[in-house]
Amino acid sequence: MNLEHFLKSEAPGWMDVKGLDADIVLSTRIRLARNLDGYRFPLSFTENEAQQIDGMIYEALHSINADGHKFSHFTIKEMPALQRQVLVEKHLISPLLAKKEKSASVHISNDETISIMVNEEDHLRIQCLAPGLQLVETYRIASKLDSKLEEHLPYAFNESFGYLTSCPTNVGTGLRASVMMHLPALTISKQIKVVTQMLARLGMVVRGIYGEGSENLGNIYQISNQVTLGKSEEEILKDLQEVALQIIKNERGAREALLKNSRIILEDRFNRSLGTLKYARIMTSEEAAACLSNVRLGVDVGIINEVPLNVLNECMILIQPGFVQQYAGTTLQASERDMYRAKLLREKLNSNNQKLMEKGEERYDV
Amino acid sequence: MVCEHCKEQQATITVTQVVNGQKSEKHYCEVCAQNFHPFNLDFHKEEQIPIHQLVSNLFGLPVWNNGPQEKAPSTSQKSAKCPTCGFTFRKFLNEGKLGCPQCYETFGKQLPLVLTKIQAGTTHSGKAPGKPNHHNEWIQKQIDSTREQLQLAIHEERFEDAADLRDEIREMERRLERGGVDTP
Ligand SMILES: [Zn+2]
Ligand SMILES: [Zn+2]
Repeated sequence: MNLEHFLKSEAPGWMDVKGLDADIVLSTRIRLARNLDGYRFPLSFTENEAQQIDGMIYEALHSINADGHKFSHFTIKEMPALQRQVLVEKHLISPLLAKKEKSASVHISNDETISIMVNEEDHLRIQCLAPGLQLVETYRIASKLDSKLEEHLPYAFNESFGYLTSCPTNVGTGLRASVMMHLPALTISKQIKVVTQMLARLGMVVRGIYGEGSENLGNIYQISNQVTLGKSEEEILKDLQEVALQIIKNERGAREALLKNSRIILEDRFNRSLGTLKYARIMTSEEAAACLSNVRLGVDVGIINEVPLNVLNECMILIQPGFVQQYAGTTLQASERDMYRAKLLREKLNSNNQKLMEKGEERYDV
Repeated sequence: MVCEHCKEQQATITVTQVVNGQKSEKHYCEVCAQNFHPFNLDFHKEEQIPIHQLVSNLFGLPVWNNGPQEKAPSTSQKSAKCPTCGFTFRKFLNEGKLGCPQCYETFGKQLPLVLTKIQAGTTHSGKAPGKPNHHNEWIQKQIDSTREQLQLAIHEERFEDAADLRDEIREMERRLERGGVDTP
């Protein structure tokens, strides 16, 4: 597939599949870090080593049967900056890989669920994405691919330290499992600090994503394991799963309490946000994320019925600066981006409403 | 808010960590957040935290104080150089990263001191090349615990949940029958 396939202004197909607890867990991500024995890590290797590694991984990936997955290969330095940014915003490559000059590349599966980053911080980073909470399932996909690659690649492995990685925070299993969670009720009711603290004590890292620092914009949090050594993959996944389930329970409880105590305030808030998204002419990414979070919660609790979840998923991706510029077809200043962002949202949300209404009328006719 | 590290980009990521029982929250841009780890001395140096404080706070590594009982290992640590990439242990502490796989052998004695501070242990347990996985055993455990949840759901008359759980169990059993996974 050519690069354009991966740059389309749509949410990737896998996001449309409804995962488990999909009202709260947006996605699950598994990442395995691997390196090749006898080669220095990207931090200190030469361009020549980088090229050899790139070649070996290319060969290995093309000599295995990847369960029907087809991969497309892209060299980072050949990509324009804006296209790299779009891939970062889709979580197909990391911000670090996007900045790499030495033979760094990425293999992306055509359904965008798997990406294999080459010569990022480690020689190999296998990443799998899935909708909803599916830690075990997603790990299995990554691990299977990893086992197949292992037959063709000399992985750097040591009996006591496990899979060797450039950074000792990844050594051992090389596994980083993350769940992306939408936690508006815990945030509104100011319980999120307590949750964050509890998680940190359990060895989990919490990050707010695309928020502006202290405010976790869009109320989206990424929770992942910090420990990779001294625990098996199974234990790591099980612990994270338990934590995720606990947070889901807390978020559900907080949602119920909010609805019970302040339903009319919520209804007002959700509908105002929807109105803003549909009619505003200038929209910063902060405001857009906040409004989308409100509408999403409105849909989850059944107050808003006219916006399908997949449209919201799509909007959450599209409001990011790279996508907005791609939509405009040119690089833009921040203030221009805000105008294009508003336009994009108007189109996405109003066109959909249109379709729904037409359907409604048809049904009425019958 | 501006990134607390580079002070240039907009901070988009909040990293929360507990160090010695104290919670800290930092706001970084995406690129800086990638480089965030508790013992990357260079990284934190730019935030004007004195190195020795970091070493004692984050690592609890007394090695650098040249205390009497530490003297012998610290001299040998300073001189050890990785034959493949030329990294010294000091360089590793500054970069927060190792230079090559062989570094793990070169610094095999000192690394556990750092690893105990950031990991759950110093020895790997889990997947290994060529080693069969314990997935079957694990799936069986998952099935057992899901069955318990199913009983509870039925008991509490949450029938939709029960149906979902039953499907889950079926799927896991099917997988078990296929002979597990991950073995080549
Ligand atoms: Zn920064
Ligand atoms: Zn080395």
